[in-house]
Amino acid sequence: MAEGMTWSVTDGDKLTQAEVYGEVLSQLGDRYPDIVALTADLATSTKIGRFGKKYPERFINVGIAENSMFGMAAGLALAGLRPVVSTFAAFTSLRSAEQVRTDICYQNLNVKIISTHAGISFGQAGSTHHCTEDLAVMRSFANMTVIVPADGLETGNAVAAAMEWPGPVYIRVGRGFEPPVNKTQDYGYAIGKAITMHDGKDVTIIACGVGVLQAVRAAEVLGKQGLSARVINMHTIKPIDRDAIMQAVRETRRIITVEDHSTMGGLGSAVAEVIVEGGKACAFRKLGVPDCYAIVGYPEDLYHHYGFDADGIVATVGELMRLEIEEDEDWEDEA
Amino acid sequence: MADKVMLTNRIVLRSIMPLFKILHEEDDSLLKHFLTRFEGVIQLAVKGTDIGAYVELKDRRLDVVQGIHPSPDILLPFKHAAGMNALFTGGIPVFGGFPKGLTKLGLLVKFVTLLLGLLILMPNVNPKAPEKRLLKVKMIMYMVTNALSQLNKGGDEDMNAWTAKQPDRIYQMSVEPGGPAAYLRVKGGKTKAGRGLYTRKAPFVHMKFNGLDGAYKVLAESKDTVSATADGDIKLEGSPEYAGNIGSFMMRIQDMLMPPKK
Repeated sequence: MAEGMTWSVTDGDKLTQAEVYGEVLSQLGDRYPDIVALTADLATSTKIGRFGKKYPERFINVGIAENSMFGMAAGLALAGLRPVVSTFAAFTSLRSAEQVRTDICYQNLNVKIISTHAGISFGQAGSTHHCTEDLAVMRSFANMTVIVPADGLETGNAVAAAMEWPGPVYIRVGRGFEPPVNKTQDYGYAIGKAITMHDGKDVTIIACGVGVLQAVRAAEVLGKQGLSARVINMHTIKPIDRDAIMQAVRETRRIITVEDHSTMGGLGSAVAEVIVEGGKACAFRKLGVPDCYAIVGYPEDLYHHYGFDADGIVATVGELMRLEIEEDEDWEDEA
Repeated sequence: MADKVMLTNRIVLRSIMPLFKILHEEDDSLLKHFLTRFEGVIQLAVKGTDIGAYVELKDRRLDVVQGIHPSPDILLPFKHAAGMNALFTGGIPVFGGFPKGLTKLGLLVKFVTLLLGLLILMPNVNPKAPEKRLLKVKMIMYMVTNALSQLNKGGDEDMNAWTAKQPDRIYQMSVEPGGPAAYLRVKGGKTKAGRGLYTRKAPFVHMKFNGLDGAYKVLAESKDTVSATADGDIKLEGSPEYAGNIGSFMMRIQDMLMPPKK
């Protein structure tokens, strides 16, 4: 575990992203007496309320006033405190984009933003609660660090690491029911350093957030079909791990990116920029939500619909490898 | 609307009777070795219909075949499907005439032994021996996944609606590590029950039981999944909503196969 990352959550591999984040933040409250947490009436949904219960004097509920909340966070940072702000991703990146940009990022202030219900992870709540644009917005803000943890344990690591990381940090998590992909918190997490979850030589799947588990599952299936897929957990979108990307380009020559975000402006675009600048050709596909407003439904159904679940990844690898994978059409029950 | 009695009968014939084969293969007792000397066909049928299945014992093998055998050695005719269902669900079977071939005692004893072997599935039967507990877990897993598929193939409206809109998905259950496993495959209204781990796709929902004890608590003792998850007996991977759906269908099957309330 990286230096300074001292937290431990019992059964952390069984808890949701949001639960771990709420718990870890509460633990960090002892270590960092300058942390002050802010919510815009979403303390329960975002789990930042756990911190509020432990430290009520360091917890501010501003009401449904996100823009004011980010402005207040900027002021608290200027006063020498370490504000942690939490709300839904749609509110952070769309409603309050101006305050995040001008009040926080422009002044390079030490504000940590944890945004939940990102992507289409809250698919059944409808388009107003989807947020498939936040990575594009946030990574375009100068000074902003952008992190998309793969699961609860990684969220804990990211929150802890963000406390020691200078300047504004945007941590993006889902609705909270994302299944775990890591078994332990001690796997050498560091901001800006990608993690190889599965080694391979035929193709590289670069994923973030919920895409990581889908990619790992796809790699297991592909392995049974004789294909060797590398899976890279690109948890930090900015600053992105250029070395890991270019090494994958050189060694596998086929890259697929997977993200619960628009295919425009997020992880796929960030990886594509690195590849283009690297000057090395490769086959390349971006999986995520295409240029549309996502339909409404359970997240797993939507992930499949847009082709970035394990099945979609396997199909894309097949396409990239020019493979015809025979359909299994035996419907006789085994008895 | 699908007839509940006929759906239950479909499950009896296609999901429960095939378990005879497991009992035959897993039972290593002296009695089995003695009884496998007796060969022949035992037919269960609804009188005057083509509803039935038969057990064929030949060359020490046991097979369960759907349909009507032209010349069974033993024939158990039932008055109606409900009468046959009762034999397997703890009720009183209703025969539609006198059984034939009962003088073939060795074969009859073999069949009765197999029928009694199915009692292990009853909720109030709790074997202590680990191998018996494993057998019970394995049989329930095979039976439940198969019954889910039969529910769909038999025309249950809710199951049909649930499977109709799903892409190719695997609902996997397995005893970890390396224990028995079974799955239900769903794709656009079609279903297939299979045994073992499905390897061509990652499971959409994976119920991973924590060892034999975890599986036994959930499958045999009907411990609810919320408590089982909290206690670490089961780990559910995948869509929580769809895991809930399949859990509801499993409960429905359990209700269909329970003894009638007095």
